[in-house]
Amino acid sequence: MINEPYITIALPKGKLFGLSTELLKKIGWTAENLTEKSRKLVITNEEKRLNFIITKTADVPTYVEYGAADIGIIGKDVIAESGKDVYELLDLGFGKCHLMMAVPKDKKRPNLQDYAHTRVVTKFPHIAEQFFTSQGMQMEYIKLNGSIELGPIIGLSESIVDIVETGTTLRENNLEEIVNIMDATARLIVNPVSFKLKFERINAMVTELKKILQSKYKMA
Amino acid sequence: MSKKILETPYGTQDFLPREAAIKRVIEQKVFKIFKRYGYEEVVTPTIEYLETLTMGSSRTIEEHLFKMFDRSNRTLALHHEMTTPIARLVSSRLKDSSMPLKLSYNTNVFRYEQTLPGRQCEFYQAGVELLGSSSTCADAEIIALAVECLQSAGLNDFELCLGQVEFASGIMEQNNLDVETKEFLKTAIEHHDIVALEKRVDELQLSKTTADSLKQIPYLHGGKEIINKAHNFALNERSRRALDNLSEIYRLLEVYNVADKIVFDLGLIRDFSYYTGMVFEAYAPNLGYSLAGGGRYDHMLKDFGLACPATGFALGIERIMLARKRQGIVEDYRVRDIYIGYDAANVNEAIKDAQRLRSEGKVIELALMPQSEDEARQSQHDKGYNELIYLSN
Repeated sequence: MINEPYITIALPKGKLFGLSTELLKKIGWTAENLTEKSRKLVITNEEKRLNFIITKTADVPTYVEYGAADIGIIGKDVIAESGKDVYELLDLGFGKCHLMMAVPKDKKRPNLQDYAHTRVVTKFPHIAEQFFTSQGMQMEYIKLNGSIELGPIIGLSESIVDIVETGTTLRENNLEEIVNIMDATARLIVNPVSFKLKFERINAMVTELKKILQSKYKMA
Repeated sequence: MSKKILETPYGTQDFLPREAAIKRVIEQKVFKIFKRYGYEEVVTPTIEYLETLTMGSSRTIEEHLFKMFDRSNRTLALHHEMTTPIARLVSSRLKDSSMPLKLSYNTNVFRYEQTLPGRQCEFYQAGVELLGSSSTCADAEIIALAVECLQSAGLNDFELCLGQVEFASGIMEQNNLDVETKEFLKTAIEHHDIVALEKRVDELQLSKTTADSLKQIPYLHGGKEIINKAHNFALNERSRRALDNLSEIYRLLEVYNVADKIVFDLGLIRDFSYYTGMVFEAYAPNLGYSLAGGGRYDHMLKDFGLACPATGFALGIERIMLARKRQGIVEDYRVRDIYIGYDAANVNEAIKDAQRLRSEGKVIELALMPQSEDEARQSQHDKGYNELIYLSN
């Protein structure tokens, strides 16, 4: 292993982090002090020739596209929004959520088309635009970085496009989902050139992960 | 006074003397190899009619082209690659030449896309097209040539992935899939969107053998043994012929002595609306995209009215420059031999000396006004000349 090049894995901060490290640990891909609180920027496992980097969620596809990381774990919603050119090898099954459009309950209109040419607040302007364009609708997209549900409440927009897991936030803010745009789960992504030049190790990793995911699926 | 615009347009770059010199040296090395293999250079216009460039391409290349109108309002576009212009040229002015025809080019091409280091909107490509032969010898020659070009450009750490689009096409033929489904599956294989590929294959409820073969395609990657492994997934004659074609090409590459650079990769299908046989791409570590790529495209010239098999490849010059840099190759090809300074009485002598030395092939900078010896020494030093000649009485 001495001369083997390192494989670098980008992991997102937040809710996917724990689930990702737990899964990788099962195939022995881990490192000492691999925690979200680590102050080190790059956490290394010398024996297994692995580097881990912990990044902001939206940055994972960027690290992987440029090849700064060979592998990343990230939600499908983030991949779709980034439009990055990366290989998507596995659906890891966790981090389930969906991206949808919601409006204030009391201002609901009969048809989706009735919202054409209105304002929509979102963290996902690209996916939103692709969706509405496919419906033949033009919208005004307002990008916000957080507290999306505030948009319609204070009159910044007529609707929101956002991620929903349980729906609690929607209910608390008197919002109602009117259309599902996409379902998302965590994915294993790989840089195209890394996939080719480090094929054996990456292929072995994917095969092992697949086995674990399949047995989990059977149990569930 | 109007506002000064000092930046270059999006996706374009300046090459300063040091970089321009490296670029020129790489191009010359590559061209020397092209020539040794008997390829002759052609130059085509930078602008073509839009219809020419989009001919036969089912892909949405049009949105990536830089377009403009001529005086009679026909749409023109800057060429985005050289295979199509050469196909046009061969189908028209060169159609009566004796085949096979071996042509090369080195030019800037234009594509509107998101830029990254090594991926600009204007970039330089050198490449060859071998027209009029469908033999495996032609494909092997193209690949051997690509390997030799990369090596002559100073790169040793690279890998050339070799695939065959007919392998996947054969598997898809097996189940009478409709055109749209085939397109979806090929796109998923090409982009290794394996999650989408597996999901769609499961939805299609194909026979288990077809489903397994389709899912395996992106993972058929490795050495010689992959061809045997792939035979297990080849469901018909078409796929088997594709594998036999690869074996034969590989055998010839062993004779060319470049087989150690080759890795089989049946998940590599590149732009499938265009390629009809073997395809390849070369990769280097630390560079997130391919250095060179090519393949066989037997149907393209038919669109221009001349049925003619063809194969070829292109190298990305900036990408080679970047890969060299990242592999730690540092160099400066600028040559600065002698700085000639003189006092007021010796300008004529200095010009004569400069011309004599230049005719001997030396790089000379001649002072543009009389200087003291100290000033001349300072100039020589500032400009990085190896020697100083100072003429005084």
